[in-house]
Amino acid sequence: MAKRDIPEINAGSMADIAFLLLLFFLVTTTIDKDQAYIRKIPKKIDLPPLDNKVQERDILALKANNQNQLMVRDNIFSDPDKISDFILKFYQTNEKNNDAVNNFPMYSKTTISLCDQNMSLLEQQVEEADRQGAIEQAKFFQNSYDEWNKKKRAIKLYGKSEIRELSVQAHIRIEVQQGTAYSIFTQIHNEIEEAIFELRDKECNRLFSEQYSILKRRTAQDSDPKDKDKIALLEILYPARIIEVTPKN
Amino acid sequence: MSKFKKEDSGGAPAMNTASLPDIVFMLLFFFMVATTSKETDPTVEFESPTGSKTTDLTPYKQRSEIDFLYLGTPRNPNRASAFKMGFALSLDNVVQATADGLYPTNAVGRWKKDKFSQKPTRMTAPIEAVITCLKADKNAPSGLIFDIRKELQDIDALTIAYSVRDKGNI
Repeated sequence: MAKRDIPEINAGSMADIAFLLLLFFLVTTTIDKDQAYIRKIPKKIDLPPLDNKVQERDILALKANNQNQLMVRDNIFSDPDKISDFILKFYQTNEKNNDAVNNFPMYSKTTISLCDQNMSLLEQQVEEADRQGAIEQAKFFQNSYDEWNKKKRAIKLYGKSEIRELSVQAHIRIEVQQGTAYSIFTQIHNEIEEAIFELRDKECNRLFSEQYSILKRRTAQDSDPKDKDKIALLEILYPARIIEVTPKN
Repeated sequence: MSKFKKEDSGGAPAMNTASLPDIVFMLLFFFMVATTSKETDPTVEFESPTGSKTTDLTPYKQRSEIDFLYLGTPRNPNRASAFKMGFALSLDNVVQATADGLYPTNAVGRWKKDKFSQKPTRMTAPIEAVITCLKADKNAPSGLIFDIRKELQDIDALTIAYSVRDKGNI
């Protein structure tokens, strides 16, 4: 008996189906990535603000008004690209030697023994707060303990017994007005990010002979504790302390 | 009366299109892998400013971990006067007036809380760490941005991302 042929399926419209799917995906997708500047908003607390004066030299005020004009430390800047140079100056002027004359933040030495001192002190405070049942307080002390511990590890990684650290009060302050355009606001963030990236990248090359961007991308992928320590050290050397001041009405 | 059959006159030989679906499927898979799907089509018009040295929000994680809000001009320009400073806020495709406009205040706070409670259980990040990405028009006034920021602060959603288009990525 003759074998009966299985009828062939007509695949001519397969291409049409595939095209249809392709077009669907083309229409519903975005190719651009989500790029942004991530910032932390300070936590709201009910306590009245502490009355400790911040020295003028520790403040780097970046201002923009309703007409989108920029001001850095009360000097008008017509070229926004130059702001990052000024931020570099803010960080680097006293980096090697403190000079009381200029108006830039001071650096101070932090040693491993100082870290140990603070850590043992905080340990006691945590225990005491626990005993009294003050959970919030215990959490606060625990956080500062962790911070000093991080600092200690960073100094060890740095390879010396001490580290020169920027004044704790030094910060960059963004002051905009109600009508300042969002593009100017992000431009200021851009300049800050550029300056800090440059500083950290230079140090990263010197200490670990690799690029900061590569190091960061690697930690985003999988967090190797060694890489985390490296980033922590760079962040301690060049902290990004940014305050965004809410504009007045 | 020739013995030979005459050859077909004219007409190009039919092209074999059997591999066409394969080619198209290849394209399809490329697009499926290389792109992310649009979460929403924002109901306001906006054009992001450009910047460099940005952080990629979704390098290895899903877009649904981040909440997006859009600040731009309403699609119908005649409606612009109904909003504070002419800019409208779009939360999940619902156009809202900004903080103290026509609609009840703390719209952003309620929206964010709502979003946070809808997150799947495998996302364990506390609300302080969940990124709120603000996509604003380049001419949007900063006053409105700080209004939004304040509402987020009130509900302890303490991570904000100011979205820009990366210069190196155009």
